[in-house]
Amino acid sequence: MAGRPVVGVCLKWVDLRPDVDRLTGAVHRDERFHGASEADQAALEWALRMAEAWDGEVVAVSAGPPAAEALLRDCLATGVHRAVRVDLAPGAPSETVASVLADVLRDAAVVCCGDWSLDRGSGAVPAFLAGELGAAQALGLVRLEVGQPGSLVVTRRLDFGRRERLGVRTPAVLSVEGASATLRRASLAAVLAARDAVVEVAGGRPAAQHRLRPVHVRPYRPRPQARPGPDPALDPRLRLLQLTGAAVERTPPRTVVTDDADEAAELLLEQLRAWGYLT
Amino acid sequence: MPEATTPTVAPSRPSLATAGRPRDAVVDAPATPDFDLVVVGAGPAGAAAALVAARAGLRVCLLERGPFPGAKNMYGGVIYARILDDLIPNWWDEAPVQRWVTRRATVVLTESQALTIDFRSSAWGEPPYNGATAFRPDFDAWLAGKAEAAGATVVTSTTATGLLRDGAGHICGVRTDRPDGDLTARLVVACDGVNSFLAKQAGLYHHEDPKHFTLGAKEVLALPRDEVEKRFVLSGREGADFEIIGGTRGIPGGGFIYTNLDSIAIGVVLGLDGLRKAKVRPEELIADLKRHPMIAPLVDGAQLQEYSAHLIPEAGLEMMPELSTDGMLVAGDAAAMCLAAGIWLEGVNFAIGSGIAAGETAVEAVRRGDVSDHGLAGYRRRLESNFVLRDHTKLRRAPSLVMSERVQQRYPQLTCDLVEALFTVTNPEPKQGAFRAARHHAKRSGVRLRDLARDGWTALRTYG
Repeated sequence: MAGRPVVGVCLKWVDLRPDVDRLTGAVHRDERFHGASEADQAALEWALRMAEAWDGEVVAVSAGPPAAEALLRDCLATGVHRAVRVDLAPGAPSETVASVLADVLRDAAVVCCGDWSLDRGSGAVPAFLAGELGAAQALGLVRLEVGQPGSLVVTRRLDFGRRERLGVRTPAVLSVEGASATLRRASLAAVLAARDAVVEVAGGRPAAQHRLRPVHVRPYRPRPQARPGPDPALDPRLRLLQLTGAAVERTPPRTVVTDDADEAAELLLEQLRAWGYLT
Repeated sequence: MPEATTPTVAPSRPSLATAGRPRDAVVDAPATPDFDLVVVGAGPAGAAAALVAARAGLRVCLLERGPFPGAKNMYGGVIYARILDDLIPNWWDEAPVQRWVTRRATVVLTESQALTIDFRSSAWGEPPYNGATAFRPDFDAWLAGKAEAAGATVVTSTTATGLLRDGAGHICGVRTDRPDGDLTARLVVACDGVNSFLAKQAGLYHHEDPKHFTLGAKEVLALPRDEVEKRFVLSGREGADFEIIGGTRGIPGGGFIYTNLDSIAIGVVLGLDGLRKAKVRPEELIADLKRHPMIAPLVDGAQLQEYSAHLIPEAGLEMMPELSTDGMLVAGDAAAMCLAAGIWLEGVNFAIGSGIAAGETAVEAVRRGDVSDHGLAGYRRRLESNFVLRDHTKLRRAPSLVMSERVQQRYPQLTCDLVEALFTVTNPEPKQGAFRAARHHAKRSGVRLRDLARDGWTALRTYG
């Protein structure tokens, strides 16, 4: 591998379809539905594209139990050169996860990550990882332009729909959004070969040496939102009408069908103006 | 060309069986194909075929379009798995079963009446058991796991999109939706389920008709385990199976309720033609069922967990395709091997039975080096010598009888009215004789006695 740039990709093995008990809130997980989030899949695709452009190699790493090796085999089928599972129990703190991932990715020029995990993680691993590797960090990326080895131009999302283009020098840790790329489909031969491919296993580092230690993590609960109710002085019928929005005049939806493209475009613009999207 | 001229070969209107059929890909068949056997579909038929062939030492690939075997399944019925006795001894110790069915009820419903024939057997709650409720994602994954353990290569998230043929026109593999996705094999077993694209592409279906299919729609409702047991009078792992006649607003079909450990499956099976004409959505009919005075207390307070729907090949022998062609066998729902014969509603056992026969035939044919249609004749012989085709042949009249207008609409009303009349005490009026009451209600229901006699004779010939 010496001499060829290494592109790392970190993937979290998560339940893509957790079953939540409506009465108790208990979450039942099924390993058969575990896999990588769309953001992590996009990260893998970017890593593969970078390695192709730079004639480099891709190392995929996931921290998790042995079942996570199925995910890494899928990565190998898509073209990853080396897959490493770090043996770590689920629920480890972000700093611990980042440090064990960094042990595998010390030589990486770029590390790609998904920008958030499906299991409502804190999204802190890429930041910790950049700290561990002494690398630059760019997050919320919607586009990557891969130039000469060691150079990248990325576009990231800012608040209020703005975008920012950044020149990034390696080493860097990049967090990409799920919609930024679609993971390629592995060929059948690669899928068959990946069944017997070697997934390396590395041991995790004990958490005690880290500076941060979560004392208590509360489960995710959406915040209640205050909704103005109807005037309590009104009679029940009027309150009900206000709550349901019944008997309120509104513009009915309409469907316009026309064979004339210019006319159709004009009608669409007119409707968008009417809704206030165009000024 | 003048209008009156008839072309030598008239372009015929494509039939349902061939319309939109993709062309087969012609390839150079390698001397050593990728596998001896490619089984398409890791349902019970495919897994059983793969298990048998892998155990016999064949190189087997089991293709599954879902992320794992069973992932695409919606079946919620009873599995009669005694066919596994030889293949997996003591299968009941390890099969992922929800409940063992010890209570079997046939319910005749009208809008406000219900007549139930309720049978219980404690013997069905002990090995070797009779029927079981199970979640098919668990059951199929378990059976496919057996095939994998026996040496089959299970490839998931991969769809077979067409057949490969060699220069002589013999099927020699399948094309998948993956890049470079051609998979060559000495023999293909199509277990790709109802509406099998592979069987159609191979030209094995000749007279497909929407009337041959029903739509099964099902809700899984969550209930605490003790509540399931209390409402259905069960204990431990005992389970109940209610098959319902009527209650579908006159649409040919019926309903069902099955108990799982901490949920129940309730649903309807509807003739496609009747459903189309009635212009009603299947979930409305399930809602009707749940509101029925007999059923409402059973489902009260249950939380909807899942809704799903699926086609069922209902017409038995009448719709069965040719079962083999050069280089390919068809098994399970792909070959319409689902028994819908009124009092017997079975599918998984027929799928497993046909899968086992396909696996055995594949082993025999591959070893002999003859996978031609002639060389695969043992498949039909095996099916004819066991329950799969014998039951279908014996019960070939059942689907049309069961789905007939009289059985679906008139007899439920007649039966319920008659029973209500017999058990209603109208003193000071004296009791009406049973025969007189039967004649009266038959007339009121529009049932002629000669039709009743004819249907009775048909039923006797069918089920006798």
